[in-house]
Amino acid sequence: MLILTRKSGEGLFIGDDIRITILEIRGKQIRLGIEAPPSVIVLREEIYRRIQEENLQAAGTRDIDVTEIAQLWRQK
Amino acid sequence: MTNMAPNPQATSSDPAVLSIETRNFGSIEVRSDQIINLEPGLLGFTQFHRYVIIEHHQEAPFLWLQCLDKADLAFVVIDPRFLLPDYHPGPLAQILRDMAGEGPEEIKVLVILTIPPGKPQDMTANLMGPVVINLKTRQGRQVIVDDPNYSHKHQVMPI
Repeated sequence: MLILTRKSGEGLFIGDDIRITILEIRGKQIRLGIEAPPSVIVLREEIYRRIQEENLQAAGTRDIDVTEIAQLWRQK
Repeated sequence: MTNMAPNPQATSSDPAVLSIETRNFGSIEVRSDQIINLEPGLLGFTQFHRYVIIEHHQEAPFLWLQCLDKADLAFVVIDPRFLLPDYHPGPLAQILRDMAGEGPEEIKVLVILTIPPGKPQDMTANLMGPVVINLKTRQGRQVIVDDPNYSHKHQVMPI
């Protein structure tokens, strides 16, 4: 892992088009400003992991599962 | 489903038709104008972009979102209005406006279902990660809804 030290108001670039700025440091909290193109996914880590994990689980769906849920749906 | 492209299985001699191997449907033929480009791709699968929507013919509102670049990658999706008629997460509204451009009627919102193997009654819908597709441009993306009213594991069937 690359480790950099920055002060409030300073920033860094990742590649040409992702810019991260340290906006404010207050106690244990840091406010970051992130500028990135729309094709780049920027999320809090816990949200990212939750959605990624859910997508991974959903990707395992088999045809038989859908046949079963279709039956359940019709009975609803 | 009136604005949904016809199912991709129809045989055609059109050179613009791609023959794609899938796990669930065997070899299917997909016209280039049926291909949906998800950019960025789904979280966990961001290296895959090309998908096609396949209807599940059982008088139920479930659809397959089949990846064209990986035969065994397919998601079951549903229009969230079948689950929650008032599904209107805040962050989605702005994104829908941005994506709609001139024709908001062309926007399709789908949510991904997770079905535990052998326990279809426990299926859940990921209301935090709807897939939004502009059917006209066939561009789409997974939008992340950070709203405590919407769970990534919304129980679909009554318990």
